[in-house]
Amino acid sequence: MNNTFPALWARLITVVVIILLAALPLLGAPRAWFLYLFLFFTYLAMANMWNLLAGYSGLISLCQPAFIGLAGYTVVIVTWSGLPFYLGIIGGGIVSMAFALLISIPVFRLRGIYFAIGTLVVPEALRIVFLLWKPVGGALQGAGAGYRLKGLAELSMTETYWMAFFIGMISFFLMRLILRSRLGLGLATIRDSDSTAASIGVDVFRMKLYSFVIGSLVTGMAGGIFYVYQGYIEPTSAFGIRWTMILMLSCVIGGLGIETGPLIGAAVVVFLHFYLAKYTGINLLIQGILLVIVMLLAPHGIMGSVRGLRGYRVRH
Amino acid sequence: MGILLGGLYALIALGLSLVFGVMRLINVAHGDLVVLGTYFAYAALSFFHVDPILSLIMGIPFLFAVGFIIQKYLMSRSFGVSMEAALIIAFGISLILQNLNQILWTPLSRGLTTAYSVESFSVGEVFIPYAYLFDFIAALIVMVFLRTFLKRTYLGKAIVAASQNKRGALLMGINTARIYALTFGIAMATAAVAGVFLGLTFPFSPTTGVAFLIISFGVIVIGGLGSMIGTFIGGMVIGLAQTLGGHFFGDAAQMLIAYIIVLVALSIRPQGIFGR
Repeated sequence: MNNTFPALWARLITVVVIILLAALPLLGAPRAWFLYLFLFFTYLAMANMWNLLAGYSGLISLCQPAFIGLAGYTVVIVTWSGLPFYLGIIGGGIVSMAFALLISIPVFRLRGIYFAIGTLVVPEALRIVFLLWKPVGGALQGAGAGYRLKGLAELSMTETYWMAFFIGMISFFLMRLILRSRLGLGLATIRDSDSTAASIGVDVFRMKLYSFVIGSLVTGMAGGIFYVYQGYIEPTSAFGIRWTMILMLSCVIGGLGIETGPLIGAAVVVFLHFYLAKYTGINLLIQGILLVIVMLLAPHGIMGSVRGLRGYRVRH
Repeated sequence: MGILLGGLYALIALGLSLVFGVMRLINVAHGDLVVLGTYFAYAALSFFHVDPILSLIMGIPFLFAVGFIIQKYLMSRSFGVSMEAALIIAFGISLILQNLNQILWTPLSRGLTTAYSVESFSVGEVFIPYAYLFDFIAALIVMVFLRTFLKRTYLGKAIVAASQNKRGALLMGINTARIYALTFGIAMATAAVAGVFLGLTFPFSPTTGVAFLIISFGVIVIGGLGSMIGTFIGGMVIGLAQTLGGHFFGDAAQMLIAYIIVLVALSIRPQGIFGR
């Protein structure tokens, strides 16, 4: 009795908050809020997927920028071909999913630390490919390898906000769904011990592949939405290590391997992003220091610490 | 030329290989620590007009201290949490160094220019810069030095023991935490040497570290993690591949070839040619 009552309240509050967030543009909230929330939701979607990989499947994937960048370029190509941008976003997700399948052939032969190295190479290689890339046909305009998106002028902030809101929510509920399914249970076993999982009949390879592919799909779509908002793309930032940093920071601050971790983490990261914006030079420096400090003082992140305080047993 | 260049790559990868061999830690910040060494020599050159190679007298102890502190105060704590924690911390250090270098030295691309770094000699019809030759000689010297150190001295033997079996070494009365810190320091000392020769050979900027980190991964992946001769041969392979790739596919594709080789090597034989 004692236990179900607060749980009911928590659920009610969640529903109210979600409805409020969805209706925010109709309520006439200040414009700046949308920007904050837009970034929050896109980061949330990507961070959730990284949490799925690193926190639940034990795959320290450093190639998430590859998915983001590929999806971004897909959106560019689609908009320049005269197709609507939402096809670009969906297409971006599919392209990065296909790419995930492709690179899973070499990188899934690697384990643990080798996997991290193997995936670190991928976005760097793609960055060079796209720096060398010259569009065929001449429909695209841009200097060097940077390109603008076409025909997005009529798109309002409200619409991009809704898209981000949508992907953020999808990622969150997808996580809930996955973790409560057989896949989630399988992944948890794999994270704790590869060989034990295999010996009790969990198909390790397939489970990891599923989470990798799902992760790339959602990350790619979120990346596509981000570039629809940004309006231009160039290889150095699209495949940049900054993305990995954001994902890692969100998950580590919030709590790796904890469902609500990325929620808190992404909020902190967005807050930092705007708070530190005036100090452009030291922005990333501070984030790096923060990453190290949080990892040392609270290895389970904010949510992990909160959970610890409430008397639950945390992993380890 | 590729082989001489391979000397530089082997030199850079040496510290990474040592840290991995002993602590089983992939130090993602290695490239940035090497570049830190380069900037140290650059500072010595531009402010005090000290020859870069001579400035190593200061640079080696400096980076040794940096490495010692990183291992003692940051890494050793994270080992207690999990392997991922150490990796994430190394990633954080890498970002800190990159941005620190950027603030101190601006993102401009620079080079260590001395009288001899631009000179070259000719073999037949090929002109080879002296810097490449120096890279190779330096790599040989450091490697022979490190090998004798690990084989002959007490500390070296302790390091080898700790890398072979941590618990066993502890039982024999070796303070492994201290050995780890010293190993990290020694790895960083080699990084200081590597940094100077990197600066003499190539132009560098605060973000150069990542590219060289990946090359070093390639080197030790091909050569086998933790094997010193393997590291040397891995360096040659990458050096050759890169120069040949640049020759056949154009300069822009140089790095791409190196990256592809790393991926292929990883997927075919993750433990390397000389790996255990």
